[in-house]
Amino acid sequence: MNAAFAPYVAFGQKAFAREATYRVEVFTNVGSLILRVYLLRSLWTALYRQNAAPPDIPLHAMITYATVALLMSLVLEIDGSRSIREKVREGSIATDLMKPISLPLYFFSDGFGQTLFHALMILPSLALALLLVHVDVPSVATLTAFAISFGFGYLVNFFLNFMMNVIAFWTLETFAIQLMVRWASDLLGGMLLPLAFFPGVLGTIVANLPFAAIYSTPLRIYIGELPPSGWAAAIGSQAAWLLLFAAAGAIVWRAAERRVVVQGG
Amino acid sequence: MPERATHQSKAGTMPIIETRELRKVFRSVKRTPGALGALRTLFSREFVDRVAVEGVTMALDEGELVGYIGPNGAGKSTTIKMLTGILVPTSGHVRVAGLEPHADRKRNARNIGVVFGQRSQLYWDLPLIESFELLRAIYAVPAGRYKENLAEFTELLEMGDFLNTPVRQLSLGQRMRGDFAAAMLHDPRIVYLDEPTIGLDVVAKEAIRTFVARVNAERGTTFILTTHDLADVERLCRRIVLIDKGRIIYDGQVEQIKSQYGTHRTLVVELTEDYPAFAVPGAEVEARTGNRVRLRFDRRTVSADVLIRRVTEAYCVSDVSIEEPELESIIRHIYVEGYTDPEPGSGAAALPHPVEA
Repeated sequence: MNAAFAPYVAFGQKAFAREATYRVEVFTNVGSLILRVYLLRSLWTALYRQNAAPPDIPLHAMITYATVALLMSLVLEIDGSRSIREKVREGSIATDLMKPISLPLYFFSDGFGQTLFHALMILPSLALALLLVHVDVPSVATLTAFAISFGFGYLVNFFLNFMMNVIAFWTLETFAIQLMVRWASDLLGGMLLPLAFFPGVLGTIVANLPFAAIYSTPLRIYIGELPPSGWAAAIGSQAAWLLLFAAAGAIVWRAAERRVVVQGG
Repeated sequence: MPERATHQSKAGTMPIIETRELRKVFRSVKRTPGALGALRTLFSREFVDRVAVEGVTMALDEGELVGYIGPNGAGKSTTIKMLTGILVPTSGHVRVAGLEPHADRKRNARNIGVVFGQRSQLYWDLPLIESFELLRAIYAVPAGRYKENLAEFTELLEMGDFLNTPVRQLSLGQRMRGDFAAAMLHDPRIVYLDEPTIGLDVVAKEAIRTFVARVNAERGTTFILTTHDLADVERLCRRIVLIDKGRIIYDGQVEQIKSQYGTHRTLVVELTEDYPAFAVPGAEVEARTGNRVRLRFDRRTVSADVLIRRVTEAYCVSDVSIEEPELESIIRHIYVEGYTDPEPGSGAAALPHPVEA
């Protein structure tokens, strides 16, 4: 293993181990997941019965969409860089800066370790949920494209959260702003419902916002709304958003670091 | 303990830490009180400058153990932050082991270790040993060296019993020992200690002090110790740097400051009877509890044996003892009165204005 990355692999492992110390939380999450999957199925079934269904998304695809979106959210809602604001508030960011490491990479690997743990914990609950609700399982090719797209979505989401947390260097508190961004990304990113439900111009706008790169693109690939011919373009636009967010994140981080080293935090 | 280098750098040896005219000014937006004032603050371009460190010049040789002492807000931690590279000086020059810390922060980080008494660097939820392993990865400590260091520190700091205990379950004394080991696993050349014994009991304090003295003597690690517990300094440091209001007011040997200021001694007398009108010419009664009397005297005007004779001739005494002044009372005196150099030109200048202690 490359020595330069050894610390970050270790950070990921420690984060994984740390999450594992909170077992009760895991079990509660599993319990609530099963309940939520069942509720979502009932909700969408009722909605489809009362209303005209949208042309592209039949009920079984909708239930699949909602269930997969929920599972994705269990991973994407883990804000790996949230420790930034605790560290800034407590001032322990100063001792972290005294270490020979890249802090953004540290936060990423720490978050990734947490994510990995929770992703593994989802598996048994996923199996249980599948007994309750029928979920479409697409072809291997589609699943692979979904996995790649989900990876990009994960990274875009990481940088979005990272930037929100770095704001703490100026404001100390970021709760309100993060809540707003979270709601926006859940609604406009297609977590709560497919973006196809947004009418007319509004639909075009939300489809072109960066939030769509987080939930909507991988989900559209999964349920087959996006044909294989459209995969490359869709993943390409995710990659473009990722580059933009990564660049913005780097700029924001440099400014934050400068603020600490010049003004003393 | 072997003889260590003093602060006068010898010809040919480069100091490991060197600052010249180091200065740090914090600038903040001027705040106006009240609700309207808060609004005004948002748009205000008026600034207030606060000078935290003003012209600090010092040089430390490798292997020195220096106490960096000053009241709260004197500029101690600002100086340390500039030495660790997490704060950019407003002006002046700073070199730590040949590097400019803020310009070369990550490389500088490999040369230093830090221990904060008030803030642990250990992973709260994981067993102590896991934090050490993480640090091994961060600093890329070779496996053999890591094993040696871990074994040595575990023995010296008696950590064997709690290496596998999660940090959150450790006592403060155990946690501090863990923090010391954590700061030194990568063989740093310089270690900054910030209030390392705060809140510890006597036994734990002593364990930590012994550890520091030993690492300093055996490995030649340079230590800068900032503390309010001057017993730490008395026990560990031969040299102290006193800072106040951002300026160095004394830089020299602990012994020198003690002999210079230690003009007063205390004679403790245990009387066999209660003497309501107890008094001795040449000394003043400092305190009296029961039959125990503390007499303060100036050793330049009266010698201890003369004083003892005067007491025993007039009163029945069961015990006498003489107390040396503690560094703490001397330093308190200097902050109130200012430091006056007995030989002008050999040290720092006197502080022109009195300071609240």
